[in-house]
Amino acid sequence: MLSERERERYQRQILLFGEEGQERLKEAEIFIAGAGGLGSPVAIYLAVGGVGTLTVVDSDAVDRTNLNRQVLHTDRDTGVKKVASAREKLEALNPDITIRAIDAHIGEGTAAKLVGRADGIVDCLDNYPARYILNRVALDKGIPLFHGAIRGMYGQATTIIPGKTPCLACIFPKAPPEEEFPVVGVTPGLIGMVQVNEVLKYLLGTGDLLANRLFLWDGLQGQATEICVERNPACATCGDGAERGRVKRRKG
Amino acid sequence: MKARVRFFARFRELLGAEVIAEPAPGTSFLTLIRDVTRGNGEGHDAVFDEGGAFREHVILMRNGKRIEATDAGETMIADGDEIAVFPPVSGG
Ligand SMILES: [Zn+2]
Repeated sequence: MLSERERERYQRQILLFGEEGQERLKEAEIFIAGAGGLGSPVAIYLAVGGVGTLTVVDSDAVDRTNLNRQVLHTDRDTGVKKVASAREKLEALNPDITIRAIDAHIGEGTAAKLVGRADGIVDCLDNYPARYILNRVALDKGIPLFHGAIRGMYGQATTIIPGKTPCLACIFPKAPPEEEFPVVGVTPGLIGMVQVNEVLKYLLGTGDLLANRLFLWDGLQGQATEICVERNPACATCGDGAERGRVKRRKG
Repeated sequence: MKARVRFFARFRELLGAEVIAEPAPGTSFLTLIRDVTRGNGEGHDAVFDEGGAFREHVILMRNGKRIEATDAGETMIADGDEIAVFPPVSGG
């Protein structure tokens, strides 16, 4: 049930989704991997939209070089852990939701436990090795992975639904080389909004997801394109011969 | 015979947004992209490694379907093909 306060807070979107939709958002728990360029806008808009529980995980502290894009953090947060800064801002934005801010590294051994019982994972990471780990967790738990990534004025996003779409490793089997990527804040802002839009549609069961579609954004040309993506039967992660955690457990 | 080759992200900066190529019949995907990037040192080197093979993270699509880099030499271009070549971006 929504409180009177919540009915007021979400009045304008209840016009869109109805009280039932708003309650669905309230019941939901979303895992946000990273509180940086993508994680900032993603967390802010999921918070103000009323997604009931947000888990934000990051192990970094705020650096002044983050501030051109990581809009959860302000100049006075320099040196402060990103999750502490994130918690403070998100609770101020919406005290009617629960923020779980966890100072941790997303690794092979920790990811599944960190994700816990979340209804979906938003990929706000900056490297593929950690993305592949979350991809596997999403497959094992049967929950969606809302992928986003950016560089400069370019971005990409897609929604991975286990069993219905390719997994991240089907689409990007090999990580691009690591680099200190150039970026201006508007690009993660924009791709983060595409991800949040996907999360909301998924939770509300409305619209068409970016499933089996890779959204590509070219900010220089002001142009969005999409490309069909397909499952790779030989995928090392989700393919027919792949050894997944779930499969191994079943055998054992 | 015409084929439309589109580049994305960093490749677009180096090689332009799209090239309308006129390959001869029997031209492979690999040959077409080599031809299109020839003469653009930085662009070519972003797409291909020192041995002339596609860099392993490069995504290749033909008419919305993925082409594996290992098959690109045997995959023939057909008239009207839409080719996309791009690197995944990784920042967050
Ligand atoms: Zn896969």
